[in-house]
Amino acid sequence: MSLVASVGRATIRQVEYVGLLAIQFWHGLRLSLRVNPFAGRRLRWKRALEQMAEIGVRSLPVLCVVSGATGMIMALQSGAELRKFGAMDAIINLVGTSMTRELGPLIAAIVVIGRSGSAISAEVATMVVTEEVDALRAMALDPLDFVLVPKYLAMLVTMPCVTVMGVFSGILAGGVFAHFTLDITLLMYLQRTVEILLMRDILSGLVKALVFGSIIVHVGCLEGFLVTGGPEGVGRSTTSAVVKSIFLVILADLLCTAFFYFFWR
Amino acid sequence: MSEATQTAPEQRRPHETGGEPLISVRGLGVRYGDRKVLEDVDLDIYKGETMVILGPSGCGKSTLLRHLEGLAKPSVGTVHVSGTDIGTASNDELLRVRRLMGVSFQSAAMFNSMTVGDNVALPLREHTDLAESTILLMTKMKLQQVGLSGVEDLYPTQLSGGMRKRASLARALALDPEILFFDEPSAGLDPIIAAGIDELILRLKEAFRMTIIVVTHEMESAFRIADRMCMLDQGTVLAVGTSEEILTHTHPRIRQFVQRIPDRHDESAHSYITGF
Repeated sequence: MSLVASVGRATIRQVEYVGLLAIQFWHGLRLSLRVNPFAGRRLRWKRALEQMAEIGVRSLPVLCVVSGATGMIMALQSGAELRKFGAMDAIINLVGTSMTRELGPLIAAIVVIGRSGSAISAEVATMVVTEEVDALRAMALDPLDFVLVPKYLAMLVTMPCVTVMGVFSGILAGGVFAHFTLDITLLMYLQRTVEILLMRDILSGLVKALVFGSIIVHVGCLEGFLVTGGPEGVGRSTTSAVVKSIFLVILADLLCTAFFYFFWR
Repeated sequence: MSEATQTAPEQRRPHETGGEPLISVRGLGVRYGDRKVLEDVDLDIYKGETMVILGPSGCGKSTLLRHLEGLAKPSVGTVHVSGTDIGTASNDELLRVRRLMGVSFQSAAMFNSMTVGDNVALPLREHTDLAESTILLMTKMKLQQVGLSGVEDLYPTQLSGGMRKRASLARALALDPEILFFDEPSAGLDPIIAAGIDELILRLKEAFRMTIIVVTHEMESAFRIADRMCMLDQGTVLAVGTSEEILTHTHPRIRQFVQRIPDRHDESAHSYITGF
């Protein structure tokens, strides 16, 4: 009985969490759409720009190195097998499509979770612990509007950008490998990649980037808002934001990929 | 304590004029799990008076304050602020009520990512259409009002505790609120600065006729600033009355609090000290 009860309790907790996430997502989206860059509300855009620099620009070095390394690994691993069949130039297809459709967005998401997802939840949780969120509410300001919206706007703009950069460095690293094993120039490699890639591949990668970005911001903020206890709670909420974000991003990746496989051929 | 009793009584105190209370609490009860935090609290606060909510640590003062500020909705009982029922109010009504209020938090709650000037200007920028030059001027004035000048460009972490508290008061005053809430104004401050904050509260009361609600456990400060006091203990209201009434009250727990007598037969305290 106690096993059933504890499983039930855990299930209710998870369902409750998903519900909270959905409510926050809905409100966040509504508030974000209300922000008009051409009228008033300068503060939101100023903060959004700061966030863009933080989420986007500053994560580029790490992201490019990690994506580049992954592109190289892909080329090496597939090269080892493809060599047996004498189909080495299939490396170009393999690296190009898998980076654009799958690995580029996923790696960008994981790097951004590590850098920004954790930072977002730590920042929001600290704001809750130090009564700053209460102060916002007491000033008749909506914490979601003030805290989440700038981050969300920033994420929606920067996540596709950093994903594109990550994909590019992955493909480029694959090209370096191809250059030495296939006797083709880097330019030829890039031309072949452009020929192979369909608009569908690129768009599905960018859609994933937007979905992953939304998950990272919303999970980070929600974990921050749900912080309990004092300063030690901040650490807990950061850890849980990272774990839940990675879990949900990979789950969402599966759903997106399945969707594209069945409905967008 | 004798000094405190000499504060000159006003001719006619706000609660004696017989008007409608600005804030009215009826039968308020709050539970966290099995723990009762507040039980059956009744309290009226009238326009223009300074109400001090007193009580030992953990008696529910801060929880009561959160309900008065409209930051928490009552599950049992009602809280009316300026005619609006907080429990059933729509979001827009809540926003209207909150714009009547200024809140100075126990931890000052300044936004650390903004300068002090931006902190104070925030409510003005968000809620008014004033020109930037006017906002800067008003920010300067509000900071001067609390005895801080030339700190606009500093970050809150660069200020001392007392300065931060005063800066948070300046922010609370930014929209000229009708009701000012003060959570533990002197917590963590040295007696000289704490006395300065008491002076500041008295000046605000004189100059703007604000309704001021202060939560504290500092008796001296309470007797200096209060028109009336509300004594809380273990989640219930023991007494509401003027400073003199509280000073001469016969309830043993109030006598104990006023005369600073420790709990004598509290076994838990004893075991805590001896380690058993």
